[in-house]
Amino acid sequence: MNEAIHPLAKKTVVWHLAVTSLVLILMMIFGVIMLMNQGEMISITPQWFYKIMTAHGTGMVGIAALGGTAILWYFLSKYIKLNPAILIVNFVLFLTGVTMVLIAIFVFDFSDGWTFLYPLPAQSAKMYGAAGAVFFLSGMLVLGIGFLILYMYLAARLTAVYGGLGKALGWDIIFRGKKGYGPPAAVVATAMVIITNSTALLAGATVLAASLVNIINPAVTMDPLLAKHLTYAFGHIFANCTIYMAVIAVYEVLSEYTKRPWKANKVFLIAWNCSTLFTLMIYTHHLLMDFAVPKWMLIIGQVFSYANGLPVMVVTAYGALMIVYRSRMKWDFASSLFFLSMFGWVAGAIPAIIDATIVVNHVMHNTKWVPGHFHTYMGMGVVAMIIGFMYYFNKTEGNQQHRGIDTFTIALYFSFFTGFVGSFLYAGGISAPRRWAEHLPQWVLSDQVGAISGIFIVVAAIIFSARFFSGLRSVGTNVHYQKKSAAG
Amino acid sequence: MYQQIAMYATVFFVFLLGLAFAFVYGESKRSGEYSTIQEKGYKIRKFYFLGLIAIMAFATVMTLGRLPYDSNQAEAEGLNETKAVKVTGVQYAWEMSEETFKAGDKVQFDVTASDVTHGFGLYNENMELVAQTQAMPGYTNTVYYTFKEPGTYQILCLEYCSAGHHVMVKEIVVEPEGGASDE
Ligand SMILES: [Cu+2]
Repeated sequence: MNEAIHPLAKKTVVWHLAVTSLVLILMMIFGVIMLMNQGEMISITPQWFYKIMTAHGTGMVGIAALGGTAILWYFLSKYIKLNPAILIVNFVLFLTGVTMVLIAIFVFDFSDGWTFLYPLPAQSAKMYGAAGAVFFLSGMLVLGIGFLILYMYLAARLTAVYGGLGKALGWDIIFRGKKGYGPPAAVVATAMVIITNSTALLAGATVLAASLVNIINPAVTMDPLLAKHLTYAFGHIFANCTIYMAVIAVYEVLSEYTKRPWKANKVFLIAWNCSTLFTLMIYTHHLLMDFAVPKWMLIIGQVFSYANGLPVMVVTAYGALMIVYRSRMKWDFASSLFFLSMFGWVAGAIPAIIDATIVVNHVMHNTKWVPGHFHTYMGMGVVAMIIGFMYYFNKTEGNQQHRGIDTFTIALYFSFFTGFVGSFLYAGGISAPRRWAEHLPQWVLSDQVGAISGIFIVVAAIIFSARFFSGLRSVGTNVHYQKKSAAG
Repeated sequence: MYQQIAMYATVFFVFLLGLAFAFVYGESKRSGEYSTIQEKGYKIRKFYFLGLIAIMAFATVMTLGRLPYDSNQAEAEGLNETKAVKVTGVQYAWEMSEETFKAGDKVQFDVTASDVTHGFGLYNENMELVAQTQAMPGYTNTVYYTFKEPGTYQILCLEYCSAGHHVMVKEIVVEPEGGASDE
């Protein structure tokens, strides 16, 4: 139960976090450029807008996954001996995939969005040449394979230590009436992510491979609706799972700071099992406007999207509130960000659940409402968790101290993020479409508010990163020291 | 209408959420016995959980009767017959079998695409999105809308379809009821 993280894995975690923080800033800048163009503050060509949009979407989900993986590996190492080679393989394949994606976008002008809806890549390949689409799709495939290898390895380790993924998810406690607590939260979350993300990656690999075959040999076609199912089963689950990986840090760190255990009791385990099942099903809320999908499936999409909010709102976020309540906890960089990240996650789930209502979706699907809600739980949830973990890592492995500037940066980040997502949600409320390079005059004001908020968010992210990199120096000198508690 | 409901509901629930977090933050400076807090917390959680279920069940029941997939959604008050219109999305234009309508017309849009997936988004004169479906090659999605007000409506592409996505707009004119336009 008390393993130490392998020094090589620790170094790899540092690399993960370093890449994450740098890519994060770059992707944020891309986001601001798009908003400034929509807000008529600068002018770029639509072709460039859509290239940047493709890079932004792919990059953000990618780095959220990378940061989440670092968190998962770091904390899981406390409970299970893990071979750092696998983490390194994942990292190398990730970088290879990302490089291919970047070549596709910036060398071969690929701009079909990170959702790459079939047969769009094939159609673009006809117009702009096949290289862009082939590079992009195979880059995504390489990236996916890297994660698949990681999950297969973790599945094998959980099976060896806990006797299977079912046991890691506490099935013997839920179904067989076994008394006591389940495995540590990090193990439960890992089991969930293995199941859902492997499914997502297999769906993704299928549609990516089929799209590639279709580009090389147009005679081989695929059903566009089936392709869309697979694309969203891949993209939606994969994006969702970034948060289920990152939340491990919240469990671990908040219980350490408050000196209160966050044990996997029966309700906790049931919640995670529900999340496992629902996360697999609810991508269908992206297809609510595809009337050709059977109606029962769409209704399931609504009902289970609602239900998927419950484990988060009732067990995880509520648990965070309970553990912090009257705990006399020390508020520093890490604890503040993890606490706020739970707010961000739930705050993002609210407009998401509202949008999963078919009648609402009927007029809000693919408006800026949608990026409004996922920017809330990605930016104020997942990214906040990752940044919080960067500080926690430096503090635990090194001797980083909380300073006044950290409080300022956190306030800067969260207040402008509220303005930022507010501008998106408002734009969605006035029917501004999503993914439009140019906007009508009545939408421009909301874009400008978003762009200006975005600039301050970038400033906050730059300060966060500078603090992370400067803190790393102490980690370098302290690597051989005994690990100490961040809460102390 | 749904847009307004969504905005107000979001602000309301996020505000409540913010209150809960602010309250706990304030209380975090005091200390208490965790087992007592847990016991009380779990009790409150039961009501909170049932409350959420009740809200969700209510919303489900209220909304599932008004799904946009059936013709009864296009309220039957229009005197005119249902008009079937074939709509095809193509990079970057909308082709329609009929382009002028009259207020009161109950229209059945049969939407498809000939190249890649597009999104059929019908906007009224105030640029408010009123009806939507996907335009996918190989499939026909039928969406109904009853034009109550005369005016210039627009169809915007709402599914990303490559570099001309934002120019894929078509205007349609809905004339006042009873024929002759006064424009
Ligand atoms: Cu389009």
